[in-house]
Amino acid sequence: MSAPSAQQRKACWDSRDRYWQCLDDSKDDKDKCQQIRKGFEDNCPQTWVKYFDKRRDYLKYKADLQSKGFEPAKNS
Amino acid sequence: MTDRYSDTGGGEDPGQKSLQSRTLGSGWCALQRGQKGKYIKHVAPARSLFTSPCLQKPQQSGSTKSAVTLRTRLLVSVAIGGAAVGTWYYLRREKEEKKKLDRIKQLQNMAVGQGDFNLLDHHGRPCSKKDFRGSWVLMYFGFTHCPDICPDELQKLCSAVSLLEKEPTVPSVLPVFVSVDPERDNVEALAKYVSEFHPRLKGLTGTPDQVKAVAQAYRVYYNAGPPDEDNDYIVDHTIIIYLVNPDGLFTDYYNRNKTDQEIAESVKKHMKTYKSIFS
Repeated sequence: MSAPSAQQRKACWDSRDRYWQCLDDSKDDKDKCQQIRKGFEDNCPQTWVKYFDKRRDYLKYKADLQSKGFEPAKNS
Repeated sequence: MTDRYSDTGGGEDPGQKSLQSRTLGSGWCALQRGQKGKYIKHVAPARSLFTSPCLQKPQQSGSTKSAVTLRTRLLVSVAIGGAAVGTWYYLRREKEEKKKLDRIKQLQNMAVGQGDFNLLDHHGRPCSKKDFRGSWVLMYFGFTHCPDICPDELQKLCSAVSLLEKEPTVPSVLPVFVSVDPERDNVEALAKYVSEFHPRLKGLTGTPDQVKAVAQAYRVYYNAGPPDEDNDYIVDHTIIIYLVNPDGLFTDYYNRNKTDQEIAESVKKHMKTYKSIFS
């Protein structure tokens, strides 16, 4: 499997940004974004989809940390 | 002698008494010193202890003699003391110099990008560090299947190179991309990848051992993640752009927070202060 080209990368990032925007708008209601999620998965390699899913969690966590400060996990 | 003694002993004139006691004191002092053997020559005979010259000018004679000797003693003490301090200072400085040299040696042993590397460029030609000699190099480690960070960083690196290209007085900088995914990044994959970023971007790859060696030399960590069903995987790795000077020595590094303009400015600064150690 060859690496995505610059064009494919761009298509993937664009659909990722659309999906993330949808999640932001719908307050992370994944059901409302299913259609857009499909486009995201079609345009990106599977590993990238997994990677970007984790990355969004990480970026959100990071943003929370910066705006609200550290909050220990509830069960700890 | 007795007259004088009784006179003064009468205690009518306090000044006289004090002179007497001083005289006695100094005479006794001289005697004592004389007993030690050093100043015996200068001591007045015991008979004339309370008469001239000991009595009349005791202070003066005593002070001239001891002034000379005191000066000599002082000079000798200062000389010896000075020599001791000087020696101590010299030894301390020598120790500090040695410490400094040791530290430089230690740092040299740890220096980034030591030794040579043997890799293939994206045309399939062998490439080693000496091929970059004489040229400024901006170097980045990554892999072609990288989702976002590598393309971003590589874009930034190439943009910095393009910014520098616009200035005719600035020597050209060679952008270099080193793969940390030798299993997948062969010469063809690299050729396709680097052409998308900059016409002069040089892609480097090699056998897993060769890549491991170059990554270790540049203190780059990389670790392939678990493969999925398509045998696709993501390689976690150090995200740093290195600046290497025309002598092939690591000069500076730039992390993700640096912009292309900041990198270009920093490179220009290094170019101004650069002096080849080989010329």
